[in-house]
Amino acid sequence: MAQILINAVTLGSLYLLFALGMSVAWGTIGILNFAHGSFFMFAALSAHFIVQKVALPMPIMVLLGMVVGAVLSVLTQMLVFDPIQRRSTDHHRAELQILVGGIGISSILLAIAQHVTRSVPFGFSNSTFHIEVYELGPLQVSNIQFVILSVAVGMSALTAWWLRSARAGLALRAIGVDSEVATLMGVDRRRLAFGTMAVSGGLAGMAGILLTYYLGSIAAETGDSFLIKAFAAIILGGIGSVTGVITGAMVLALAETIVLTQMSGMWASAVAFGLIFVVLLLRPRGLFGRKEVRRT
Amino acid sequence: MSIKEMTGPLAYAGIHTTKGIKLAVEQINQQDFLGETDLKIEVKDSGTSARKAASFTTQAIADESYAAILGPGTSSQAAAMSPIAQKSRMPVIYTQAGSEGVLVGDYTYRVTPPASSYFGVAGDYLASKNIRTAAVLYNSGIPTLSELGKKTVPGLAEEHGFSIQSSNGVPRDALDFTAVGSEIAEAAPGAVFVLLTGPQNPRAISQLRRNGYQGEIVGMLSMGAGNLETAGEVAAGAVWPGNFSALSNKPSTKAFIEAYKAKYGGEIPNNFAAEGYDAAWFLARGIEQAGSSSRSAIQDGLAEVAKAGFKGAQGELRFQGNDVRVEGVLAGWNGSKEVLVMPSGS
Repeated sequence: MAQILINAVTLGSLYLLFALGMSVAWGTIGILNFAHGSFFMFAALSAHFIVQKVALPMPIMVLLGMVVGAVLSVLTQMLVFDPIQRRSTDHHRAELQILVGGIGISSILLAIAQHVTRSVPFGFSNSTFHIEVYELGPLQVSNIQFVILSVAVGMSALTAWWLRSARAGLALRAIGVDSEVATLMGVDRRRLAFGTMAVSGGLAGMAGILLTYYLGSIAAETGDSFLIKAFAAIILGGIGSVTGVITGAMVLALAETIVLTQMSGMWASAVAFGLIFVVLLLRPRGLFGRKEVRRT
Repeated sequence: MSIKEMTGPLAYAGIHTTKGIKLAVEQINQQDFLGETDLKIEVKDSGTSARKAASFTTQAIADESYAAILGPGTSSQAAAMSPIAQKSRMPVIYTQAGSEGVLVGDYTYRVTPPASSYFGVAGDYLASKNIRTAAVLYNSGIPTLSELGKKTVPGLAEEHGFSIQSSNGVPRDALDFTAVGSEIAEAAPGAVFVLLTGPQNPRAISQLRRNGYQGEIVGMLSMGAGNLETAGEVAAGAVWPGNFSALSNKPSTKAFIEAYKAKYGGEIPNNFAAEGYDAAWFLARGIEQAGSSSRSAIQDGLAEVAKAGFKGAQGELRFQGNDVRVEGVLAGWNGSKEVLVMPSGS
């Protein structure tokens, strides 16, 4: 059981790293970015091509992934999301257009990746980092699992601190509560949106690199599979809450792992998503979602 | 019309099948095999969408210039197309698409043999290694793989005297095999049947090995086509039964391989290319036998060719009803390239 728990927490940490950036962007600047999975995949693909030419250590690979993810995310904000938000007068319509825009960007990146890889999986076999497995009594833990757990804890703590205590983080939370009032108070929404998208894309890139190391290889479509899980984890935990996304990611991973090992794989998604549905029936805003206050 | 998955997760299959088809069409036209008539193939990309595949089928039926269809590789697409094609009397020749419900009548043919018909070669291999226990890890979301995991492998176990210790289905889009891999590794069966999609194979093998599993790994054709390259040395020793190997000594297979290498700059063909090649040649033989481009005459021609069988890229092709049979081979991965482990008959 302890081994199952270790494996589930590792998977949950990967869901968390992926979902964290998506949750911050959605909960603060209101961008539900469906291209997030493609940034994640494209960061890993770019690192794959680079590491084929020159053997690089893991920290450099992670840095590369973060840069690629951040650049793609900022470009998407600049070319797609920002123009939509500036031109639209209807907030609800803008949200829908952002959704469609994200799907469009995702489709383009996916098609490029499928074309260049011919849908054959890719990995970092030329990297200088090698996976070692340690025996801790009856348990087995690998060095990449340690890295993933440490990075997930570190990034979650940093993001939570930043949103609660840093000036920019507080400004972002203010936008998340009421963007009009925040703007009137002198918050530069547009500049913060670019910064948030860069951080969000960077986190996606980091998750893409770590996941590829952990799994050994990924395919062009892997980002899409993760997108659904991240979306579920955010909804379960509550939009905009770091504690919520941590809880959502862990509950989802644990439910999937237990079903997979104790029942049958065909029920894994059904049970995991059924569980989320039940929680949302009882707590519609998710486990840690904030209450909205509307004044008339 | 050739309806193939040229994009999407199974594009590696569609692209290679199409290369085989194009080579065959070039040969057919160069040899004037159909007299003064040239065979022309129009490729339609279905992604992996059953809806698109059915829509292209309807389009082909409505347009009289299409005499036959070369069908897609997934069973879900094929099963959506077959009733439409059969009802409208449009001959369809499938590659792959191995599950039930694909061949629904005399107008639907398949030139990829069902895996169960050549999987016995894996049983022989395990028996030669004195394997007594096995575990099964299969993708429960794909009918062909699910059928192999639930029916074919247990049948093989009974026939070759080994027992199945555990059988785990994973979701269609499963990414992480650590949890199920560590359970299998702990039980330490003599062999593990890894029956997953192309991109899932290197992950599952890497995670099984990382969890300390040291026994035999038996897969299926999705381990070929370069899918184990990223796993490298970790996947060394994995084997899979197949209907084709580029290392085969069969004369018709060797002739195909030489022609393929000449056309595609030395590239070595895989099973998908071989099946595409055989599908196109089967169609050409059917048309030649029919002496007409009418769909019903072509169906009669295909039936005649199927009765006699023919030699193609996969070797000697014989038909059981509308479904092909060939001798199986066992291919493997040595850590850096594909090798032939058990030639047929050895």
